[in-house]
Amino acid sequence: MTQYHTINSRAPRIDAPDKASGKAQFIDDLNMSDQLHGAILQSPLAHARIVKIDTSRARKLPGVKAVVTAEDAGLVQYGVSPARYDETLFCHDKVRYIGDEIAAVAAVDRETALAAVSLIDVEYEELPLLLSVEEAMKEGAPLIHEDYPGNICAEVHQEFGDVEAALAECDIVRTDTFMNKMQNCAFLEPQGCIGHYDHRGYLTLYSSTQTPHYVQRTVAMTLKMPIGKVRVVKPYVGGGFGAKASANAMEMVACLLSMKTGKPVKMVFTREQVFLQARGRHKFVHTLTTGAKKDGTVVALKHNCILEGGAYASFGIATVYYAGSLLGGPYKLQHMKYDAYRVYTNKPACGAQRGHGGVIARAAWEQQLDVIAEELGMDPVEFRFKNMMNNGDTSCNDLYMSSFGMRECVEAVRDKSGWERKRGTLPRGKGIGMACGFFVSGAGFPIYRSETFHCTATVKLSEDGGAAHLYTASAEIGQGSDTTFAMITAEALGVPLNAVKVSSGDTDFGVDLGAYSSRQTLMTGFAVKHAAEDAKRQVLEVLADKLRISVSDIDVKDGTVIFKGPGITFRTIRNRYRKEHRGWTDMPDDAPLSFAEAARLAFIVKGTVIGQGEYRPRWLGGKFKGAAVGTSPAYGCSAQVVELRVDMETGQITIDNMTDAHDCGFAINRTSVEGQMQGSLLMGLGEALFEEVKFDQKGRMLNPNFGEYKIPTALDMPNVTPIIVESNEPYGPYGAKEVGEGAIMPTIPAILNALYDATGIRFHELPLTPERVYKAIKEKQCEAKAERGRK
Amino acid sequence: MLIPRFEYHKPSTLKEACEIKGKFKGKAQLLAGGTDIIPNMKKRIILPDSLISLNGISELKSNSVSGKNRCARIGACATVSSLIRGKFLLPYSALLTGLESLGSPLIRNMATIGGNLATARPAADLSPSLIAYKGKAILCSVAGKREVSLDDFFLGPGKTILNDDEILAEIILDELPACTGSGYIKLGTRKALEISLVNVAAVIALEKPDGVIAGARIVMGAVGPIPLRATTAENLLMGEKPSDGLFAEAGKAAAEDSRPIDDFRGSAEYRRDMVRVITVRALQKALHDIR
Amino acid sequence: MKIVINVTVNQKNYELAVEPNMTLVDMLREELRLTGTKKGCGLGECGACTILLDGQPVSSCVMLAVEAHNRKIVTIEGLETEKGLHPIQQAFVEKGAIQCGFCTSGMVLSAKALLDDHPHPDEQDIRKAISGNLCRCTGYQKIVEAVQSVSEGEQTS
Ligand SMILES: Cc1cc2nc3c(=O)[nH]c(=O)nc-3n(C[C@H](O)[C@H](O)[C@H](O)COP(=O)(O)OP(=O)(O)OC[C@H]3O[C@@H](n4cnc5c(N)ncnc54)[C@H](O)[C@@H]3O)c2cc1C
Ligand code: FES
Ligand code: FES
Repeated sequence: MTQYHTINSRAPRIDAPDKASGKAQFIDDLNMSDQLHGAILQSPLAHARIVKIDTSRARKLPGVKAVVTAEDAGLVQYGVSPARYDETLFCHDKVRYIGDEIAAVAAVDRETALAAVSLIDVEYEELPLLLSVEEAMKEGAPLIHEDYPGNICAEVHQEFGDVEAALAECDIVRTDTFMNKMQNCAFLEPQGCIGHYDHRGYLTLYSSTQTPHYVQRTVAMTLKMPIGKVRVVKPYVGGGFGAKASANAMEMVACLLSMKTGKPVKMVFTREQVFLQARGRHKFVHTLTTGAKKDGTVVALKHNCILEGGAYASFGIATVYYAGSLLGGPYKLQHMKYDAYRVYTNKPACGAQRGHGGVIARAAWEQQLDVIAEELGMDPVEFRFKNMMNNGDTSCNDLYMSSFGMRECVEAVRDKSGWERKRGTLPRGKGIGMACGFFVSGAGFPIYRSETFHCTATVKLSEDGGAAHLYTASAEIGQGSDTTFAMITAEALGVPLNAVKVSSGDTDFGVDLGAYSSRQTLMTGFAVKHAAEDAKRQVLEVLADKLRISVSDIDVKDGTVIFKGPGITFRTIRNRYRKEHRGWTDMPDDAPLSFAEAARLAFIVKGTVIGQGEYRPRWLGGKFKGAAVGTSPAYGCSAQVVELRVDMETGQITIDNMTDAHDCGFAINRTSVEGQMQGSLLMGLGEALFEEVKFDQKGRMLNPNFGEYKIPTALDMPNVTPIIVESNEPYGPYGAKEVGEGAIMPTIPAILNALYDATGIRFHELPLTPERVYKAIKEKQCEAKAERGRK
Repeated sequence: MLIPRFEYHKPSTLKEACEIKGKFKGKAQLLAGGTDIIPNMKKRIILPDSLISLNGISELKSNSVSGKNRCARIGACATVSSLIRGKFLLPYSALLTGLESLGSPLIRNMATIGGNLATARPAADLSPSLIAYKGKAILCSVAGKREVSLDDFFLGPGKTILNDDEILAEIILDELPACTGSGYIKLGTRKALEISLVNVAAVIALEKPDGVIAGARIVMGAVGPIPLRATTAENLLMGEKPSDGLFAEAGKAAAEDSRPIDDFRGSAEYRRDMVRVITVRALQKALHDIR
Repeated sequence: MKIVINVTVNQKNYELAVEPNMTLVDMLREELRLTGTKKGCGLGECGACTILLDGQPVSSCVMLAVEAHNRKIVTIEGLETEKGLHPIQQAFVEKGAIQCGFCTSGMVLSAKALLDDHPHPDEQDIRKAISGNLCRCTGYQKIVEAVQSVSEGEQTS
């Protein structure tokens, strides 16, 4: 095994001391001199025609500097995927959900801006509300968007193999329907931004975003600016989980207001606005028909899905594909058919959330597989061994498993959790369950069709050679990417971690598609590794030349130059370095030649040493429609065992133990990998047990706050036993691939399967609130009573 | 989120506070821990012209156990965590459980017992046990003091018998008679930061150790506009020897006594069923508390 | 109309004129530029704005600045000394208890209040003490481990 000096360790994160001491600056911590404050008028109605907007009273309020509406903003359509641009900066003809943006104000302070917003008079003509997919898909239902008949935002129809024929051959065929509710990413930091249009006509947007690159493109497009004049800078970001992965209206509004006023304009969402901006998990209804042979081989899957999307497409077109294309894995499956619709309703738009598209489908199917295993009399673990893909397999929809530690994951959780000892022995009210997961490690294509590099990275050595500075436009949003890339730079360059400085999250630093689809470690990491290797090569070439040896005779490790041959003397280099740095501390004397000395030499010979790296996936995927969604340079997989307790009288569930194994290819930072696993499990637990965005009959959100939208507290979350599986991904840097999203996949189904073990009841609707669980237990008891009565 | 503007008053004596409250009446709200009123002002649900801070009044924070019947006198502005730490409420286990399950440590360090009663939230955690203990409240105004039973304190969601010019000054709990125990159960979804879906406080007194039940009070929260007494259940317990069967009957009776409604947090049906379940548990706890 | 208050923040005395409707968190962030105290919800429901008020952790977003008159406040900025990070902060760094960091200030202060009162809490005590501080990133486990490591004296500074 290769010996690494930095990666694969538990190095503390480079941003942790600043965060621990309160110095790290998030968007709301930034202020610019002479800045104005913005506020947005959002629709109080879920579906209405705008008859008239009168801003005159707002304009007259002292302290107001600008009031803008669609008239000022224009009607350029934007969205996430160019195939579904369906938003304009402000509503001009109608509003489609409570929260839709109508106008905005810039004023001297927030209080004035909010007061001005309340002085904007809008006359509406109410339209019929469509608050469910049933209403929206009904014959003759009014259209939320004129261009989308039937209120269908997107549909997918795919078939691989011949599902009907295969099902006919199966020994067991089961159909189940499963659904969740709309969810929220519920990161702790509300979105915020500062737009600053300067006197030269350059626009800088500071924003709490996961994707500076896409925001830059969207802002440039909607405000009709050249890309080169728009810069997006991301300060520290307090979590994103998907909802911050695309441009939001506030960002464009702040820029527009700055263009109008010539001053920086700041805006920050309230928590309620975070909920209205939404863009979290869709509500999915999955109907799955799975066929298997007596021996346990799963043969065919027929999958229908309806997604309630809310008022705009957002990521929806990708979501609707992901929900189907990622389901087959991690299993061998010859036949798969998928038909799905994403439907518009008058609610806030849904988008991407950790485990994009796949989480609810996975929950539904892993539970169904458990049912089938039981009907066949097989242990769920054995059943999964029987069906799982291996290294080098390709799924029926052309997804290639270049590395795949599925078996190791299942074995690990089985052994660590005591599965064999506990399974089938727990008393009523206690249960143990397991499930597997599968996810992409970066999307094969950018969201817009292009052959662009997905990322570029630059490593610049300081002129004294002592420091390496990595520039990347990637987005540290809390997941630890800056640390990962610093570690990769240190390893690839051969210097200690504290010699590496990272500047990231700025579109001026290069191109990077950002933090979504679990892409950065593999993709950006790849580019960073190459940039560091490039810089190292340049230094070693100069050194080799000076010493008249071959580059292959030297290497660098942990800041020291290693000569492979004997008798190489570097006295002249050292003497020169010492003379140049008279009076400096930490002068090298007897020590071996340092990388800093070599890098200094390289600077003197050839000027600034700049290493460059970039990444673009190899060509991926099949030729069928939608093949692009779901392809990835690599796939992560995971397995989990959950133990829980149910209060059979109240329906309350307590999760006692979670054992989780994840194949991340190779752990660049072991602590960070575990942290992603533990955090993913928390979100999965919350979604399984508590989380649901609720609406009333007017389309008003009932719980846009942390009091009533319940995410797990420290008392709800148990300890997790995290197990890192490393399958060495050939296409990833040092073998690394994803962990950030895939880890959430097995959580919900493992809970469902454990709940069945505890109660003997299968649940087909989330969240598993005490009331839902209690009702099911009660029904079952009534049935049992009636049964006994009949006998 | 901004708080709408208001005028701020900070009296240093109860008398002064009563004068100001008497002057502004309904246009002024009292500010104790602020954990209820500040969020409500931010959400623009309550928009008072003035806030009268009670936090400069030391007499409202003092607690004592005194008098010949050793009753506990609790200052209305005592914070929830000070009451937990104070130990003198140890005999009142149902109240202690309620105090410990209120909100989160951050909220408990601010929230006051008086604020909890005065807001009259149907799901509040402290009122059920305080009523079950036959607690009394001292209300003050310029005109003087009056003592009321907490049984009569609540009128509806957000409504109490406090007049526009009155301030809740003290809560008085009599010493618990011998062979008395109490229990409180809160049912929610999460294990912290949770408003009760249903809660039940029960106090029972035995005639003598291992004797029959000589006194029983059961109060249910979040299943009616105000905390409700489960009188049928209470009557059913009187004169009986505690047993699982008896408690089960009491649970059923309590469920009948409850008047829950459907809302987005839960259905009436579930709430009613849960009253049955947790009444039994609260009674078991109370019995256990005696021993 | 502004009201003048005297308040001690991180052992420094201030005389400030504040509007009655200003929250304590806004006073700290906007008047004193102590932006380590975060705002996650504004309603007392997340703990990002946790500060120590006379040693007790409270949500500064549901407290008026004027109410801080004559009181002692410690914010996250008050923990570090010339010698470096406070042992709790150091433990958070070393144990991987920080991801996005938005909950960290509040977590550290809740942990400090706990350890000041109970130097050797068990896991359940720790979980209870931070139960008003939501974290969406870490799953809490490494935070709990960090606090445990301080109580076990693993951390010195
Ligand atoms: C995140 C969060 C969680 C919560 N969880 C719970 C919970 O689990 N259980 C629960 O019961 N409550 C909960 N609450 C509500 C609240 O914290 C409690 O009701 C608290 O006890 C209110 O006390 P306070 O001192 O903060 O009241 P304040 O907000 O200061 O006052 C509330 C109201 O009472 C009036 N008032 C206050 N003191 C007096 C007085 N002495 N005389 C007359 N009127 C007075 C005020 O005018 C005001 O209208 C929660 C609140 C938050 C923000
Ligand atoms: S910001 Fe104060 S508790 Fe959330
Ligand atoms: S680290 Fe992100 S919320 Fe806790």
